[in-house]
Amino acid sequence: MSKPREGNEARPQRGVDEAMGAEQMERAAVSALNEAVRGLGAYHMNACVKCGLCGETCHIYRADPTPENLPAVKADKVMSFYRRYHTLSGRIAPFLFGARSMTPEVLEDLVDDVYGRCTCCGRCGLHCSVGLDIASTIVTGRRILAATGKVPADLQAVVKNQLETGNQMAITQDELKSTTEWIAEDLKLEMDADVQIPVDAVGKRILYLINPREVKFFPLSLLAAAGVFHAAGEEWTLSSRFYDVTNYGLFSGDQQAAAAITRQVMEEAEALGVEEVILSECGHGFRAFRWEGPNWLGESYEVPMRSVLDLLLEYLDAGRIQVDPARNEARVTLHDPCNLVRWGGVSEQQREILQRVVSDFQEMVPNRENNFCCGGGGGALSMSEYGEIRVGSGQTKVDQIKKTGAKIVATPCHNCADQLLDLSKQHKLGLDIQSVVELVFNALVLD
Amino acid sequence: MQVDDRNIEFDSDGFMIEPALWDDAVASAIASEEGIDEMSEEHWRIVKFIREYWLENGLAPPVRMMCQEVGVGLRQIYKLFTAGPARGACRVAGLPKPDGCV
Repeated sequence: MSKPREGNEARPQRGVDEAMGAEQMERAAVSALNEAVRGLGAYHMNACVKCGLCGETCHIYRADPTPENLPAVKADKVMSFYRRYHTLSGRIAPFLFGARSMTPEVLEDLVDDVYGRCTCCGRCGLHCSVGLDIASTIVTGRRILAATGKVPADLQAVVKNQLETGNQMAITQDELKSTTEWIAEDLKLEMDADVQIPVDAVGKRILYLINPREVKFFPLSLLAAAGVFHAAGEEWTLSSRFYDVTNYGLFSGDQQAAAAITRQVMEEAEALGVEEVILSECGHGFRAFRWEGPNWLGESYEVPMRSVLDLLLEYLDAGRIQVDPARNEARVTLHDPCNLVRWGGVSEQQREILQRVVSDFQEMVPNRENNFCCGGGGGALSMSEYGEIRVGSGQTKVDQIKKTGAKIVATPCHNCADQLLDLSKQHKLGLDIQSVVELVFNALVLD
Repeated sequence: MQVDDRNIEFDSDGFMIEPALWDDAVASAIASEEGIDEMSEEHWRIVKFIREYWLENGLAPPVRMMCQEVGVGLRQIYKLFTAGPARGACRVAGLPKPDGCV
């Protein structure tokens, strides 16, 4: 009677390469390490002064201040590989210099550190006394584990879905079409207008990429975006094949997969002949597509790309949509997604929008690039085995939200939204989590 | 979690480890953790639909089907299950955690 989990039969278990012998594994690991530490990467690997300042900057350490949760301690496990393979002292006397060979056991031991106890949010790097990019060192660890087949199975399954079906939830093209038609019907009633959600329309101005979560479980943000696009007279389309704004290759550390996911979407943008790609509210998706993608592909894009937040602000500035902040009366605070803000540089747009569409906007402290991770980043939401760490590490965020007195938390990231919903449930906060576009839609004044 | 005299176990995401042990009593117990004091007829119809769909197809139904098959509005479902269709309704229906960003 018990059914297997979704896609279980085809799911690679951790260690796809059980057949990979120790030597072969070490070679693959060293090759991944060498690639990651080219150039400035080497500095970040060999300059930690062990000051411990990073502890209090980390949401995971703050929730559970044991030494093993210190960012420097986690990162040092990866740095020990650098010392072993790239320094003379580490090669000659590894035991004296804390240099470790990448044996199968050592690599297996690293899995929980780099996937389970770090979301790669990057806040520690911002406060590091010697300016080390600690998160990227953790990512180097993930790249090594991806090269040796040790990505946690649930995370790997998401990457596989993206590569095989074009989207991380393996939603069929028919289902996408049925859902968009259904939402459009709702929208026609809500706006009393002939609103369409175009799919695979050629020659439109914009290709809008969305999170598959917006199709499968949370379509209100897609409904809102379609409503705002309609009000602004935008020419836009979704793609039925490659509409996924996420890229879990960023999280798994598999850069080949990340490049393939990027390529399939950008080729679709060119095929549809759009003028620009607009990314819906997804933190890591923005970082992956806007900043990492060209590096993975080794070339710049043919089609320009922006966050939907840029577009919404442009509509407001140009008077293409009219809004009334009185429609959003309740106090709203804003959670900054690490990948969008600290890594992605999109910080002021969401604030300028919220100032205009809500009546009572209250910042949480700290904010912008200095914000705390909600605990759900780095692929944590997809890895059930780390659920307790994930929810526990949200304590700092819970405290921040409580201090604002807001019951609505706006966040331009679906991943953060899920974590914040979970935190709200665990702590009985009764929060309403909304994307920015939902608040804009709610404030729309139609002629 | 104790339901009647049975010990029901959950993964660290709160989803049932052994979905076959699910029944109405387990559903009510999970629902109460979700802040649903009493399962209404609408709650039950959604949960039963999700359960049947999963038994047949091995995956969680999209929210479109939950709404259309049961006849509830989209905005209504988030009021019924404040944690949403995945971490809320699917959890009450005793499914394993759906894949991906949820």
